[in-house]
Amino acid sequence: MELASVVQIWLAALFTIWIYSIAFRDNPFFKFAEHTFVGAAAGHSLVYGVDNILRYGWAPLTAGNMLYAVVFVLGILMYMRFHKTYFWVSRVPISVIVGIGIGLTLRSTVTSEFIAQIVSTAQMKVLGLGAWEGFSNLLFIIITLTTVYFFIFTFPKAQGGRLSLISTIARYGMMAAFGYSFANTVLSRFNMIFGRIDFLMNTWLVLPYAMLALPVVLILVIYAMIPTEKRPWPKPKN
Amino acid sequence: MTAKPKTIWDRLEDIPREILYGLLLVCIIVPMLFPIGFPVPISVEVKRWYDTIEALPAGSVVMVDFGYSGGGEPELAPFAVATYAQLFRKADIKVVTMSTSNEGPLLWEKAMTELNIARFGKEYGKDYIHIGYIAGVETAMAAVGKSISATTTTDYKGTPLSKYSIMQGVDSAEDFALLIVYTTGGDQSEGWVRQWYTSYKTPYLSCVLAMMVPTMLPYQKAGQIVSVVSGAQAGQIEILVKAPGRGVKSADVITVTHLLCIALVVVGNIAYFGKKFSGGKS
Repeated sequence: MELASVVQIWLAALFTIWIYSIAFRDNPFFKFAEHTFVGAAAGHSLVYGVDNILRYGWAPLTAGNMLYAVVFVLGILMYMRFHKTYFWVSRVPISVIVGIGIGLTLRSTVTSEFIAQIVSTAQMKVLGLGAWEGFSNLLFIIITLTTVYFFIFTFPKAQGGRLSLISTIARYGMMAAFGYSFANTVLSRFNMIFGRIDFLMNTWLVLPYAMLALPVVLILVIYAMIPTEKRPWPKPKN
Repeated sequence: MTAKPKTIWDRLEDIPREILYGLLLVCIIVPMLFPIGFPVPISVEVKRWYDTIEALPAGSVVMVDFGYSGGGEPELAPFAVATYAQLFRKADIKVVTMSTSNEGPLLWEKAMTELNIARFGKEYGKDYIHIGYIAGVETAMAAVGKSISATTTTDYKGTPLSKYSIMQGVDSAEDFALLIVYTTGGDQSEGWVRQWYTSYKTPYLSCVLAMMVPTMLPYQKAGQIVSVVSGAQAGQIEILVKAPGRGVKSADVITVTHLLCIALVVVGNIAYFGKKFSGGKS
């Protein structure tokens, strides 16, 4: 294996252990890893930002597409927000960005997130299917309608008396959806922990000296978790 | 005044997090050291995902958005690697990859190393390519859908796209037979529906984090996405592709950790009701 890969694996392993150590207690190793990550992520984004300007702005401009000069002017105008008097000029490029974003989204949002969903729900069959599928579809329709009712008809008369049953069904439906979502989140997190521990066990620990380093790393991390005043060494300075 | 001694119910309700995380660690490491071999049943969604790729005719071009961030790598990479294996096993399928996340190109290289692409005899620039991270999320999707050459002129390494034979005759969404998206972002997974499926009717396969699945399911139900899967289902696609990897290995761990989760929920409820019935405030 190349030396560069070995160094990468060691660094990734150490940072994984240091980051996960927060699950047990705060410690300087975690803080170091966290700050390094923030710095590296900021640096990475900066490099990509410059790369984007070169690839999507500078390259077409120097190739003769003068329309891209407008993009640069708009980009420079963004920095006017730091000017005490002419800060309002920065709103011009922001409004262009917002306008393009809204325009792009709107052209298909109505179809994809409104009409298609309504059509799909309206076309759902309840009869002539298996018992379980029919029941599932019926439940889907009931919860969709009650939830729409819950959020649209918010005035007190529509939520009180016998009509409160509709809101109650909607609330139970939403609770079930949130529970499903939360369970999936737990699944996601467990998968991520598995991924990192699998990396430690099957990529890092198989390297020379890693098995010897593991107890040393763990002892240091555990020691760092002990509050400064309770550590036998070094003694805190008064 | 002396503090009221803690009852067993109090202790059960307030288990220190160090113990909980310690138990979790044990539940992850033990099944990895001593695999139990829990079965990995194939879900309808993963089967549909597999069948969609199998049904691609020779000469098809597939667009892949390798758009996940480093945090999602442990969950999404095994699924992506298995799917690339399936695509590369098929004869005459071209794969154009882009990234809507700036970490995408780096993670793509890592996935290609894990895949050991040399064993498929595929050539970069002829059979597959990565056209780089394209900023702008939904703007990027719309721009690439309209014209790749007008959006970017180089691949992720900065080499002009015109030098690669794979890009000949491939420029807009209409040239692609299938769109496959791996993402950790809701904007990306939903944006592709708006910018590609709605505009060009490109069949779309979406692999997202498990926590994103509930928000994506309505699109699948409405027929806008062929199949929505979570990275946690990687073991299933690995079995179908006959390339067992991290996904299959994770099956035991995921099952055992969820059993721990259920056990802790039961303990919490026992403590709650125990405290209530023994006269303590819950």
